[in-house]
Amino acid sequence: MNREFTWQQVEPDQWRIKVSELIDSGFFYFDFLTGVDRENIDGQSDCEVVAHLAKPDLSDSRIIFTQVKSELASIEDLAPASSWYERECAEMYGITFTGGDTRPLLRHEGLGRPPLRKSAVLAARVLTRWPGGAEPEIREDGRKVGNVSRRRQRPPGVPENWLTP
Amino acid sequence: MKHSFIALIEDKCTSCMLCVRECPAWCINLDSHTVEVTEEGARRPKKVNVLDSFDIDYSLCMYCGVCIDVCPFDALAWDEHRALTSTNREDMILGIADLRSSGNA
Amino acid sequence: MPRYALTSEPRVCVEIVSAALACCTLELQAALGSGVLVESTELDASPSVIVIAGTVTDALVPSVMQLIRAHPGVKVMSFGACATSGGPYWDSPPVSKGIDQFVEVATYVAGCPPRPDAFIQAISDLACSEDA
Ligand code: SF4
Ligand code: SF4
Ligand code: SF4
Repeated sequence: MNREFTWQQVEPDQWRIKVSELIDSGFFYFDFLTGVDRENIDGQSDCEVVAHLAKPDLSDSRIIFTQVKSELASIEDLAPASSWYERECAEMYGITFTGGDTRPLLRHEGLGRPPLRKSAVLAARVLTRWPGGAEPEIREDGRKVGNVSRRRQRPPGVPENWLTP
Repeated sequence: MKHSFIALIEDKCTSCMLCVRECPAWCINLDSHTVEVTEEGARRPKKVNVLDSFDIDYSLCMYCGVCIDVCPFDALAWDEHRALTSTNREDMILGIADLRSSGNA
Repeated sequence: MPRYALTSEPRVCVEIVSAALACCTLELQAALGSGVLVESTELDASPSVIVIAGTVTDALVPSVMQLIRAHPGVKVMSFGACATSGGPYWDSPPVSKGIDQFVEVATYVAGCPPRPDAFIQAISDLACSEDA
């Protein structure tokens, strides 16, 4: 099946209204809902919630997304299939879906920051020495040879302001 | 070719550190130093990196092949299968001598 | 508990308990079904080997420990990068960084996943070292 996805941005307070509208106009197959951490993208620091709803024969579908601070109204009652996704999104991105099921889905409680947020530091990456920081050593009788780059090397995927050991 | 061992072709390695930096498991360790070499007829000496040590920690390696992919000098290659088992985790760190290709990749 | 003998070395029997935790298990099962190991009815089987194959999350550590403790004297094989060091999940907070942090490991098998023949080799080495 070859089809273009139609994306549409929605204001957070219109989220439930938009979902109801879509369901009423035949897009009542709820496919998925997830989060996107926008930090460091386009200078934004919010999280985005994205949902995909389709017609049951998959002939047409809509992707809607909205910028959220930390809360969004749950659509669990409108599209029951969204419940697990909301719970997953809540524990992975730290978004509260008001009016929805708040039980944890996959993680144990008290495990710290939501792991899929960029601000969640992977301690192992901070505590482990990154072997890529090494440069060819200069040894010729103490004489400086070789081009040692002044640029401090950083491991990929580790933001600049992360702690260093 | 079986994707089950990564061999280092020592002579081709320029100690450029690309594989070390790209390895997602951070399991390659490389030590090198720079010397000046004056080739016959050349005006100025050339700076050459000399490889001192190159280790892959096979207890951590996920056989993703990223290192092979990023090496601009084809100094890393998939090699014939060598089942790597050990009674000691430190012994799974293989150095230059143990990383040589078996010759029948 | 299934008991296996090596076809090349029928005297050597091993009892294998496997903790099937993630993708590595598939290779382990391929090894068990490869014909090199046959199910045996010998009674004096030794040694008993417990194979930890796959990702051990912190939440699973107590269960893995319980399984190992249920077989006193058992030899532990750490099969694959995950069990040995965390492997691809070495930086993931909920994954343990190697089962040797909480249990003595007799044999490590490298790979993600290790190939079935790596398991055969490891189990032969283990069985023969016991034999000697
Ligand atoms: S195969 Fe992947 S994990 Fe292994 S050394 Fe190469 S880059 Fe690192
Ligand atoms: S990328 Fe290739 S040439 Fe560069 S250090 Fe690694 S093996 Fe050597
Ligand atoms: S070592 Fe690789 S194949 Fe084995 S369980 Fe971990 S991720 Fe899966």
